[in-house]
Amino acid sequence: MKKLRVFLALMMALVMLTSCGGQSDDTSESDSGKKVLNVGRMTELFDMDSCIATESDCLEMVSAIVEPLYYCDTNGVPTPGLAESNEVSADGKTWTFHIRENANWSNGTPVTANDFVFAWKRLVDPATAAEYAFIAEVAAIKNASPIIAGEMDKEQLGVSAKDDKTFVVELENPVPFFLNLMTFPSFCPINQEFYESVGDQYALGAENMIFCGPFIMSAWEVGGNTYQLQKNPDYYNADAIKIDEINFQIIKDVQQTMLAYENGQLDYVRLSGDLISKYQDTPGFTRIEEGYLWYLSPNLNPKSDEFKTGLENVNLRKAIALSYDKEAICNEILKDGSVPADFAIPFKLAVGPDGKDFRETANTYLATDKEKAKEYWEQAKKELGTDSVTIELLFDDSESTPLIAQYLQSEIESNLPGVKIELKSQPKKSRMELMQNREYELGLSRWGPDYADPLTYLDMWITGGTYNYGEWSNSEYDSIIEKAKIGDYPDANARWEALKKAEQLAMDDAVVFPVYQKGSAVMLRPGLTGMTFFPVGVGTIYTNVDIER
Amino acid sequence: MVKYILRRLLISAVTIFMIITLLFTMLHSMPGSPWNDEKIKPAQKAALDAKYGLDKPLPVQFVNYTKAMLTGDFGVSYVIQKNMPITELLKVRVPISIRIGLQAVLLGSMIGLLMGIIAALRRNTFADSFTTFVSVVGVSFPSYVFALAMSYFIGYKLKLLPLLYSTSMPFVSTILPTISLCMFSMATVARFARTEMVEVMGSDYMLFADSKGISIFRLLGVHGLRNSLIPVITVLAPLMVELMAGSLVVEQIFSVPGMGSLLVYAIGFNDYNVVMALVFLLSVMIIVVTFFVDILYGIIDPRIRLAKEVGR
Repeated sequence: MKKLRVFLALMMALVMLTSCGGQSDDTSESDSGKKVLNVGRMTELFDMDSCIATESDCLEMVSAIVEPLYYCDTNGVPTPGLAESNEVSADGKTWTFHIRENANWSNGTPVTANDFVFAWKRLVDPATAAEYAFIAEVAAIKNASPIIAGEMDKEQLGVSAKDDKTFVVELENPVPFFLNLMTFPSFCPINQEFYESVGDQYALGAENMIFCGPFIMSAWEVGGNTYQLQKNPDYYNADAIKIDEINFQIIKDVQQTMLAYENGQLDYVRLSGDLISKYQDTPGFTRIEEGYLWYLSPNLNPKSDEFKTGLENVNLRKAIALSYDKEAICNEILKDGSVPADFAIPFKLAVGPDGKDFRETANTYLATDKEKAKEYWEQAKKELGTDSVTIELLFDDSESTPLIAQYLQSEIESNLPGVKIELKSQPKKSRMELMQNREYELGLSRWGPDYADPLTYLDMWITGGTYNYGEWSNSEYDSIIEKAKIGDYPDANARWEALKKAEQLAMDDAVVFPVYQKGSAVMLRPGLTGMTFFPVGVGTIYTNVDIER
Repeated sequence: MVKYILRRLLISAVTIFMIITLLFTMLHSMPGSPWNDEKIKPAQKAALDAKYGLDKPLPVQFVNYTKAMLTGDFGVSYVIQKNMPITELLKVRVPISIRIGLQAVLLGSMIGLLMGIIAALRRNTFADSFTTFVSVVGVSFPSYVFALAMSYFIGYKLKLLPLLYSTSMPFVSTILPTISLCMFSMATVARFARTEMVEVMGSDYMLFADSKGISIFRLLGVHGLRNSLIPVITVLAPLMVELMAGSLVVEQIFSVPGMGSLLVYAIGFNDYNVVMALVFLLSVMIIVVTFFVDILYGIIDPRIRLAKEVGR
């Protein structure tokens, strides 16, 4: 009996001890009047060096602590960031940015044009081996390509500091979406003096960084499971930042993430898989579009006859493209907020000169229509002179892809009698390699956008393009893309219309068969406002976040 | 004895070297490289390879790697925390995993031992049946079932203990992971301790010691326990390393930044250096623990040491 009493006393002591600990950990919004946001994350922070960062979480963090020249406002329109204004030369090949007088680094030194010169040269320097160096080529910065290829010294890059606050960029050709590109974190400034003072430790921990964005990184424990942002009091627009602190907690288990959310420990978490349908009617459930487009790529020009299937026939392509139920794929198989894709350019990717999303004013193509599919198939049979074709569908073993491939097989085979689909599963790397080598017949693939312009997709299908797996070729299309790249149109509207025409050319010829645009969903604690999500570039922007009391 | 220890040390060193060689070859013959992005151009891939010395022939890479490793330099991470020295990456994680593992083993074996002894002494009573029940449950349920159940009831419903690991409360937040992990070792130890204890209690020398009239504590502690510990230690040793290496699932559930999750992550991303460093550490741990267990055998049961020496 005595022992039992001791045991009970011990247990009570333990409970009291732990419940105290639990409370002290609980950061509530009203605590000392500070506004605190707690975010759940699936993966560790890989790197915080703006030249090196590639993962979406890292890009988000970089852009929160080091602002680029421009940033996207809530509508995705580039808005002056560290640059308060810019001028473009008449030929569109020289951009002059005026950096804000009151833009300073957190160590007190002003943000200067040299910070950009230094960072950009570092980005293209082969010694940096930056994975995103290609974005400098997309921006057509003078000499970027030969420097990246190691054929020219990085000092030849077309960037210069006219004076401390004037940054000049020279381009190979005009780039109509140049300002959009300027919002990308790879183009963030780096303070040369600070960089050199920490050497190879740069950005490897919170103590080895300086900041000039809306937030500072106040904690990032290497190998730990948390990191933290705090409002940057020295930010030029600090008054506009409503949130005081953002805590990030890494949780790899989605169920636990939701427990922590329901517990009030987290305010913003990402949902995945089954949880999306489970929580879709709960307050705070928010759908967001991702930029990924999944599509079937027919091989029109295989490397050898062994991969010849008849897919060079446009009617066969159209027959297949219309024969499967995209709604069912999104609602029955994926159930994650993905939407059927009747287009080549996803939703919410790019805003036109009219301020509207590209998809709002463009047509849709290749929507599911099983009757029409049969008609195309009849036509194709006549033209091909055969009653049956056998096509091998190549796909990879990632996520739900095998299920989708099986579904596509059954849909195509049952709606187009005579078409036989054989499934071929490969690891993702091999699948990509086979497609790049043109050693496939029909491939299920995806593409993620690099920048907020339709070209990030349309550029894929130019004649001879690396990612033009099916080797489709159309001279009218090629010339539109070539002109759109350098903005060789009377005005932005004309360019926009031309891009719509290009999408139509590609879709009318069924260069690819769109399947779906990937979607996902998040839970946002009611009362949390101003979270901004984008399917391209920086995925989440925290600048406008506020918590209503 | 000294000769014996030296020999064991030598064998350990050779084992570790073989493990590293094998692992290095296997990792580098896996498809793919640490650079997985479909948009990296061949020129950039080559630049990255050159930067990290991955363009050199495999034997050269191996020699360079081993040389650096012998000086305590495990290289830098390629993916998980780019350019971060791996020693830094492990500095936080390894102690956490070892801590939780040790806590679990200690707690599990102590409770297990206690339960086993009580069950053996009070055979065929409620205490005995209870021990058997706990042993069966503990061995047959995977640790994540306990982890999920506890995090739901204790962490979420009752809010008694934190749901997630927090470095600011290293003890309190390791309680739930420790308990989830200790169930298996507790059950195993209880089962073995009971069986052995029953056997020992029925032996002639125990009967003799008991009839001499020595106290029950001395009887159990000196004569009983010592004889029944050998098999218990044999099962505990590998268990200990396994738990210290970090249970992936339990780490994921409680969001513990430990070794297990890092290893799986590193393999997935082809982060060669991280995998090498972790496996090296684990091998060393297994070898060290086995080494000590061998010595421990000798201390607990002098007959073992004697037999070995006579046999030599």
